[in-house]
Amino acid sequence: MALPLPPASNLHAILLVTQSRSLGPRLVFHYPPISPSAAALAANKAPVWFAKEATTSSGGSESSSSDWDSSTENEGGDDDAEVGSRTSGGRGSSWRTGASHRDKDKYRPGAGGVWGRSIDEEDGDLEVENGSKASGNGKQKGGIHDWDTVLGFKVDALEKILCPGKAFNKRRFEMGVESVVFVGAPMFVREDGLWKKRKKRRKRSAEDALLANLKIGEAKKGDGSPEEDRSGSTSTEPFVYPEGFEPGYGHGLISGAPSGAVSEAGSDARSNSTADNNPDMTMFNVVFVLNPPALEYQLRVKDMYDNISRKYAKALKYEQARFQYVWKESKRIIDIKQRAKENGEALTATWQKILAISPLAKSIAILFEAISNDKIAHVHFDATFNTSFQIPQADSTPYLPNALEPQMPGLWLTTSNVVIEDESDAPMTQHAALLLLEDPETLIKDLEGDNKNNTAALAFYIRNIIPTKSLLKISNKHNIVAQDMEYIASHLVYWRRARLIAPLHPRDTYIVSPNADLSNLQAAIPAYASRFSTLPTLPKMLSMLSGTPKPYRSFIPTAEHREAYMDILAWLMRGGWVTQLRTFAWVRVSPEIKAQVAADMEREERVKKADDLRREAASDNGSMTESLLSDKRSSLLSASTIRPATPLRRTRRDRDGEEEGTETNAALSPLVAATGWRGSPARASSSDAGSTSSARTTIALSSGAQQRPISPAPPSHSRDPQQQQRPQRPSPLHLKTTSPSRPQPFSPTSPSLTATAAAGPPQSPPPSPQSFAPSLILNPQKANSTEARWLEKIGQTFAHDADLREHWPMLLRHLDGRHAIEDISPREGLKRKRVAALFNGVREGGWLVVVRHW
Amino acid sequence: MPTRAIKAIFFTRFHHEKGSRVLHQVPEGSITPSSSPSALRTPLFDVDAIINTYIIPNQQFCDRLLAFCTNHYRVIGYPVCIREGRYSRNEFIFNFALVVEEGVSDWIAYGEVARKLGRLLRGLEEQGEFLSREEEEGRVWEDDGATGGGGLGDGEGSFGLGGGSKVFALCEMVLEDLNNYAECMIPIDDSNTINLKLFPTRAPPPPIYAHQVPVLTISLSSLHTPISSDLTLNRILPHINGISSVAHIAQLADTDLSLTRKAIQHLVYYGCLVLLDIFSFGAVYAPTAEIGGFVVDESVKEECARYVRVPRMRIGSIKPKLGSVESERSRGGTDERSSISSSSRSQLHSEHTTPSDRAPAPDFSTTSVSWSVRDADSDDEESNAISHMTLITLYTSLRQGLTLKNWVLENVELLGGIDVRRLITFGIIKGFLYRVHKYAIATSTSLPPAPPASLQSVSTSAAVNHNDVSDQATIRGGHLARIPSLVAPTANAFPHPAGERRAEEMVRLNSLVSEEREQGLPLVRFLDGMHCFDEICTELGMSERVVEGKIRGVGEVQVFSR
Repeated sequence: MALPLPPASNLHAILLVTQSRSLGPRLVFHYPPISPSAAALAANKAPVWFAKEATTSSGGSESSSSDWDSSTENEGGDDDAEVGSRTSGGRGSSWRTGASHRDKDKYRPGAGGVWGRSIDEEDGDLEVENGSKASGNGKQKGGIHDWDTVLGFKVDALEKILCPGKAFNKRRFEMGVESVVFVGAPMFVREDGLWKKRKKRRKRSAEDALLANLKIGEAKKGDGSPEEDRSGSTSTEPFVYPEGFEPGYGHGLISGAPSGAVSEAGSDARSNSTADNNPDMTMFNVVFVLNPPALEYQLRVKDMYDNISRKYAKALKYEQARFQYVWKESKRIIDIKQRAKENGEALTATWQKILAISPLAKSIAILFEAISNDKIAHVHFDATFNTSFQIPQADSTPYLPNALEPQMPGLWLTTSNVVIEDESDAPMTQHAALLLLEDPETLIKDLEGDNKNNTAALAFYIRNIIPTKSLLKISNKHNIVAQDMEYIASHLVYWRRARLIAPLHPRDTYIVSPNADLSNLQAAIPAYASRFSTLPTLPKMLSMLSGTPKPYRSFIPTAEHREAYMDILAWLMRGGWVTQLRTFAWVRVSPEIKAQVAADMEREERVKKADDLRREAASDNGSMTESLLSDKRSSLLSASTIRPATPLRRTRRDRDGEEEGTETNAALSPLVAATGWRGSPARASSSDAGSTSSARTTIALSSGAQQRPISPAPPSHSRDPQQQQRPQRPSPLHLKTTSPSRPQPFSPTSPSLTATAAAGPPQSPPPSPQSFAPSLILNPQKANSTEARWLEKIGQTFAHDADLREHWPMLLRHLDGRHAIEDISPREGLKRKRVAALFNGVREGGWLVVVRHW
Repeated sequence: MPTRAIKAIFFTRFHHEKGSRVLHQVPEGSITPSSSPSALRTPLFDVDAIINTYIIPNQQFCDRLLAFCTNHYRVIGYPVCIREGRYSRNEFIFNFALVVEEGVSDWIAYGEVARKLGRLLRGLEEQGEFLSREEEEGRVWEDDGATGGGGLGDGEGSFGLGGGSKVFALCEMVLEDLNNYAECMIPIDDSNTINLKLFPTRAPPPPIYAHQVPVLTISLSSLHTPISSDLTLNRILPHINGISSVAHIAQLADTDLSLTRKAIQHLVYYGCLVLLDIFSFGAVYAPTAEIGGFVVDESVKEECARYVRVPRMRIGSIKPKLGSVESERSRGGTDERSSISSSSRSQLHSEHTTPSDRAPAPDFSTTSVSWSVRDADSDDEESNAISHMTLITLYTSLRQGLTLKNWVLENVELLGGIDVRRLITFGIIKGFLYRVHKYAIATSTSLPPAPPASLQSVSTSAAVNHNDVSDQATIRGGHLARIPSLVAPTANAFPHPAGERRAEEMVRLNSLVSEEREQGLPLVRFLDGMHCFDEICTELGMSERVVEGKIRGVGEVQVFSR
């Protein structure tokens, strides 16, 4: 997994199947009512990322436009920054292809195309599919009356095949028919006839009569429990929701008095469940029908199962356990359907009725509409329980698309979210700023709609979030507990309301993102203009940022404009128009340094030899072997004692830093790794790998080992598939895992050789710079002994600059080509200016190879 | 294709009295428990739980590819139901299913094999009762009585072991051959042969644009037979040299542009090509985040040093002449393809498992021989001539806003013995450099009337430049069709006070567009910020400088790059 795929759920229908003692397997409900036929779905293999592939292959003469040209249509105003809407165009077009296939089916008699038939006007409200369907050959007056097939299959066959055996309890149910796949998480009743393990301290069956109080308590308790369930059961869970910040904002802390409907339902259910310990329904299975492209099959199916199918089924199961929710609703739906069928009513009209009456059906409809459009579904099961579902989307990528591998245009291009493997730094969350993807007021209004209780507090937080200040600073300034801040941040990020970025700063450099979505430009210009009407236009801004990279400051005409320009920058950042140009550097070791170090080492060797000789002479009966041994030992000793003081100190400090780092890491990593702000979910594995390996390094360091650090075995599982997949793309993220202290090709200076050279004739001429080639130190943190000496030597050249000399070891930590120089200041708690001065000092000395990218 | 991905193959039949039964399985014991000594200890999954629903499903699901996941295996079958009077209950239902691990990413390829097998067996059965005859001979189902207590599928101890059963032999051969060679050819009788091959699923090719520059990653000229009977493909192949754009190739080969694009799309699909941008010294290149990979990776650096080195005879006069693409073209010729990327070549070969695709003959095309020989000679001394530090310094000094020309001037002393074009191309191919494309967007509030005279003159030259007039016409048609849709929504989307003026302006812009359409110079349509300069220049057949001049003439246009 390298390039994040554009979000595309490929969801085409949701089916609810139950197995009961009285009715057997039964397809209770499906949505949309007019489902596309499986044959049509199978035929629609159009890949998501070349939305106009069809046109190029057939016409071939249409010469230009981006691959995503369709996304302009549904864009408007500010929401071009919203992740979801950006891609809905691409999706929309794949829908369209699907529709055209279906249309074809319509005219092919008997091609399983029952669904090609027309829908009457009634479906206008429903908006089941796009309009192309409705313009059909409406002959039957009442619309569709086909009650017997779904997806082109006979209902009885389908309901049987979608009821797997008990072995599939809580397992993934996955069945493919041609290229259509049915994914579900079947839930079975327990042996004892309950849907949930009974909690010991609650004896609910006996206490029917104690109504209100108990119910409230239960509702509250119940609300917590699915959360517990989820967070406890798997590691894929985003994070433990803090009280009051659960998905959908509305969930949890329900107001005291449950509405009449609920209490009714509750008491009903209770009487039901107490009445028979032998429940009717034994299994339910919510099946999601997808047709993913072949190459994305595993990913799409996994996404759907992990994020939607399983969670939705769990939520339903929880409701079922509370008051027979699923079965009662199912009976209701079956009943309505049965009556409608007998009365010869139209399908779509009936569906409208079902949706109006049954919250379960409604929830499925909402889920379908949102997920099939790659949005977030806010599902209300009943008055006391609602929650949200989504397939998380990548919010940034370090990879630039090329002509052969396009990716989501407009995706934020940066390496700042990339987890550096073998790395133990605390995540940058505290030092990052939060960039809201919507206006704070819009966001707050959204929240108000969802939740009454915490709005004030949330609004306070949200109003205070500004993209130019790190979370740490904001929380300090407004006396917000840092942890709260982080919770809010991860929450907003997970639910696509915000992004974590490096705080915007006028001293930083920004360029037009090579991944900017130019097809959005026409829509973005007026949106921009309405917001920043008196300032340079969007094309002007882009033009300004296109030249030789300069600090953003240089575009700001006067100090008064600063705020407005920073607003512009935030706006541009939000839309993925710009990205920060970050600086990376490696230490370059010049031949002179190498020669000096080699000379030093030789001298030491000579001195030691002389020492040994003297000692040998002094000891009367020193045996040869002993001296040899001691020689060896002393040389070993010297190798470690001679090691410069600075690295020693550095390592100790490192160790502290790293321990601290891992601690915070341990505290935060589940949270961060799961919220997905570090990129696509598939990268979670690599972040795991990262943290384990970092743990390893910490151990090695704290055990005080001074030997050459053995680079931790690269976590192959995260790296190999990548390399197999695209060997022509050397990726920094993965290549980096290869041993950083690889044997240098220039052998003259490698320790073994110098040792043998020193063992030889001691009067070899002092090494001259000509015999060395300049080279880079790829990872100063893991420098071998020779490299460490070079670094120390370089540090000594800063004699005139005490400040620089003092901070050299600190700087070294960031000079590995993976840490941006811009990050030094927040990480090390130094002033920006100071860091810049230090960095320039080193740079002017010619000790660095500097490269700038995002 | 992962090796030995097929864990098992089994043949299931539905018997009108005895129900569904696994008749043959390879390896033994993989599906149902077997008493054979070589059998697997435990079956891969519990077949009884799924056999009736998913292996022999409802007839609704017959004659379709049916895959089902159980116990971390994916069972891929193609249940077949033959309705004919000669069978009992007029039905003959069977399924020849493959088992792969659930995580196999490209299981669709195995699905295609299962589908083909199912259909072939159906044909064989309908023709010559290939499957049912074996049963009539009485061994398969009767054994059931003997081992009856063992229940389903315990019978193979007595009937399954090779020897007689053709179907069992078929299972065995398919499993072994597909796992070992990814293909198989099994003669059934005089007139029938089963040919199967696992085709890896490939990503659909991207659209090809006229301004892209294809570079071959394998040496197609080394193939003895023409790779295709596609005339366009054969004509354009000699012109693919890593320098010419698609439009230029079409012109050189005298082929239709859209056909050329399609042919190149084919090559892309099979991974024989990568697409670059048009190289010029006016272009801007900058490193991507993957530059770190280049710095760290020794082997890539060596490959690079080998690739960018100017061949020996040119040493001494190395300083590249600015803008002298011509001189490079003279030598670029065919050797471009020879050493681009060994890694992608090997990748390609690992994917193609057909014997015919293996063992590429050395490149014997006339021009490249001399070069490659010379390269080999000078390999040792000269690969040292370009140090890794030099390469790193050169690559890292590229940046946004710096044209290649100026960059060369800045780094002249480092560029000794280095072919600048190859240096850049290498970075693009490996993905650690990117071309910063220039775009133009019209923002003007006052569009001056386009100078008709100059436009016309250019338009004629444009038409001359393109050999294929009809092709151009189609291109243009496609674009113009889109213009109104681009302009209209923007015109509507101005709510602010300036809206009316804007709308008016749009009308003017529209009129300009129509004007230009008549004149055959649709320059304005490129000024929506979605077309890079490469594209504009290619489409209009003008040099960048001319285009820039024209654009200034159009009015207030912002040029930006990304």
